[in-house]
Amino acid sequence: MPPPAPPLLRQSHDAEMAGPFPPDLHDVRHLRLKAWLLLVWAVVSFGAAYFARDLRFVMAGGWPFGYWVAAQGAVLVFIAIVVVYAWAMNHFERQDARLAAEEAAAAAALADAAACAAAAAQSSGLDGVGSLGHDALLTAARKVRRDV
Amino acid sequence: MSERGPTTVQDEERAYLWRLHRILALYVVGVLAFLALMTWAERQGLSRHWIGPIFLFLTVMVYAGIGVYGRTSDPEDYYVAGRRIPPVYNGMASAADWMSAASFISLSGALYLQGFAGTPGQAGGLAYLLGWTGGFCLVAMLIAPHLRAMGLYTVPDFFHVRFGGRWPRIIAALAAVLCSFTYVVAQIYGVGLIASRLTGVQFEIGIMLGLGGVLLCSFLGGMRAITWTQVAQYVVLLLAFLIPVSWLAYKQLGNPLAPLVYGTQISKIADLEAQLLDSAAEHQVMLTYLQRARDLEERLKDVDLALEREREKGRERIRALRAANAEVGLIVSASRELSSLPRDAAAARERWTREMRENYERARPLGGLPQHSQAYAGDPNGSPQEQSDYELSRRNFLALMFCLMVGTAGLPHLLTRYYTSPTVSGARASVGWSLFFIALLYLSAPALAVLVKFEVMQNLVGSSFEALPTWMAQWARVDSSLLSVEDVNGDGIVQFGEIRLGADLIMLATPELGGMPYVVSGLVAAGGLAAALSTADGLLLTISNALVRDLYFHDPQRRASPEQRVILTKFTLLAVALSAAFVAALKPSEILPMVSASFSLAASAFVPAMVLGIFWRGTTRQGAVAGMLGGLAIAVYYMLSHVPVLQFLPRWLMADGLWFGIQPISAGVFGVPFGLVLTLLVSWITRPAPAMPVIRSEM
Repeated sequence: MPPPAPPLLRQSHDAEMAGPFPPDLHDVRHLRLKAWLLLVWAVVSFGAAYFARDLRFVMAGGWPFGYWVAAQGAVLVFIAIVVVYAWAMNHFERQDARLAAEEAAAAAALADAAACAAAAAQSSGLDGVGSLGHDALLTAARKVRRDV
Repeated sequence: MSERGPTTVQDEERAYLWRLHRILALYVVGVLAFLALMTWAERQGLSRHWIGPIFLFLTVMVYAGIGVYGRTSDPEDYYVAGRRIPPVYNGMASAADWMSAASFISLSGALYLQGFAGTPGQAGGLAYLLGWTGGFCLVAMLIAPHLRAMGLYTVPDFFHVRFGGRWPRIIAALAAVLCSFTYVVAQIYGVGLIASRLTGVQFEIGIMLGLGGVLLCSFLGGMRAITWTQVAQYVVLLLAFLIPVSWLAYKQLGNPLAPLVYGTQISKIADLEAQLLDSAAEHQVMLTYLQRARDLEERLKDVDLALEREREKGRERIRALRAANAEVGLIVSASRELSSLPRDAAAARERWTREMRENYERARPLGGLPQHSQAYAGDPNGSPQEQSDYELSRRNFLALMFCLMVGTAGLPHLLTRYYTSPTVSGARASVGWSLFFIALLYLSAPALAVLVKFEVMQNLVGSSFEALPTWMAQWARVDSSLLSVEDVNGDGIVQFGEIRLGADLIMLATPELGGMPYVVSGLVAAGGLAAALSTADGLLLTISNALVRDLYFHDPQRRASPEQRVILTKFTLLAVALSAAFVAALKPSEILPMVSASFSLAASAFVPAMVLGIFWRGTTRQGAVAGMLGGLAIAVYYMLSHVPVLQFLPRWLMADGLWFGIQPISAGVFGVPFGLVLTLLVSWITRPAPAMPVIRSEM
């Protein structure tokens, strides 16, 4: 499977003095997730290390607690943070993809319904849908189709 | 490929992954079988002179073989391994790339020597462990996926694409070269150390041998070859670390799962430390060192006179020995001592000052080592001196940890690795796998330090000098700063204060200390070599890419075909490797300080501008340039102000003492905030007119 061509890079090489490229807008949910995880990260590394002298009580297995956190506990928490982050981001992305797919499907269904209604109105020659309204319906259906 | 359905592609991916798994399993079995074969051969009487070189030669040949097999001139393969490395293998390769000679050789040694947090004058210990793992949280959340989403090749590319113009890219490329070069010198130093011990050749020749191995892998193949070599090296270095640790744990505690059981040894060490603090013989040793330090201090008051007096004393002694018809050996050693006296007053002052400091250090309880499990030196409720020791020790611990963590998020050779994963989601998973594979070794490192300390305190201390094992003399020959044991108080018994182990020695000597077969020593050395080589590979590639791709070929006049670019990159790599070897041969410093310095530099130069560039749309080109230059300048200035070699420069040029008592190694503590503030400030001043930039919301 060939990797997708990196368009940004190509562009920047073609135009030697490429203009600045602003970063993506960050999703608020992503930022909130990052903030929480970074807080845990800071507490377990800097917080625990700052108070290590006060956490000297001996835990199961013979370790002084402060020593164990710095030597092993913090590393385990770091792994957990990275794993939770990767999992949650994948979850968000799947959710977004599903929402987008649902929206697209709904729009397509709407377009189909509109087109059907327009066609039916025309073929039956009913005056229920005026010629103006019927044209508008057709245009709207085409527009929705194109957007989808 | 377009006519194939998505399922076919998925099947193909799965088949590819399974093929990789199979190859890896075969390789692991191969390594284990080779170990078994060597153990058998040792039992059959294979000489030690052969075991070391065999390990060295065979492993390097395997890496080189993989390098040759994976060679490429295709740019996509050369720079980012075709972007098709599955996350698990990318994690493994990053782990090998990440764990350098500093992690493998020096980390356990530092934990042994520095305990929890080191001394007030030298922070360390668990700060290294926390710093080198905690940084991955920053990489995972703030940097790697965002960089991968942009589809770039190198870290300076980011600055080019994000900020435009020439300067951001040029500064980033130069900063990448600066910190990677400092780092690679430390790796090559480690290679030289191992090669010279294993084969008995000179340190300088050892460096050249190891360099050959590095070049064989990275010269031919670029990123693709390096990635697969690093996977192979990871397997070797993990086995080489876990086998001796498990052996020691099984020997002492009856359970090979060292990280789970070493807790009991901590309290035993605390008891032994208390005994040593009370021991009369230890006090005698301390007094002797104190006396030596005072003598040296006396000499330093008038260096010229003292030097003359020392020379006279030496000549007198040789005359007396000759007159008494003493043994030739004694006379030779006396005249060698005489000729080893410093040549002039300046050299004498430098050497004696150093020796005086060392002697004062060793005149402290426990040979200057802090108590193993006690967090920070001093005492928060003690005398003013103890309180300030405690404060300084804790502050420097946190500062070092901060620099290492932030530096992790800025080191170009690590970040480039996440360009090789197939997708953004793959990049996130890769970071997770990297941290997992790193933790496999890092969770065992404090265990190893504790087990070795127990072994030394329990078995070595109190044994007689007559019965000292031969490996100690062999190591002392490589470099006397690595290991020295001296019967200071003349009672013929080893005291704890009389043993001096260098941080770079402890891991390499662990198998011999624990009485393991020599094969394990060979394996450990091969593991150290793998760690140093894998990191050196990645670093050299980063440096040469920065020089050729980001500096040379960005000039619009220079047009060349992609193949020509790759060839030029290869030759730059050769030149950089040779100059790094030259610097390493000068033995500029120990491994850990060099590596820490390069982390501080990377943190100050890259992280503020990069994080702000990713998360704040208002960052301008001028802001980024100012932040990178300012942060880097502060860090470099603070470090250089405290380098002894540069003390001839006028005083007013230098930083005034230590700022807030922070040691120069952690200069990033000043560089990062300064860079951050500067970037914000200059960006705000140079912000464009109200018209907002076009918003792009697609990933």
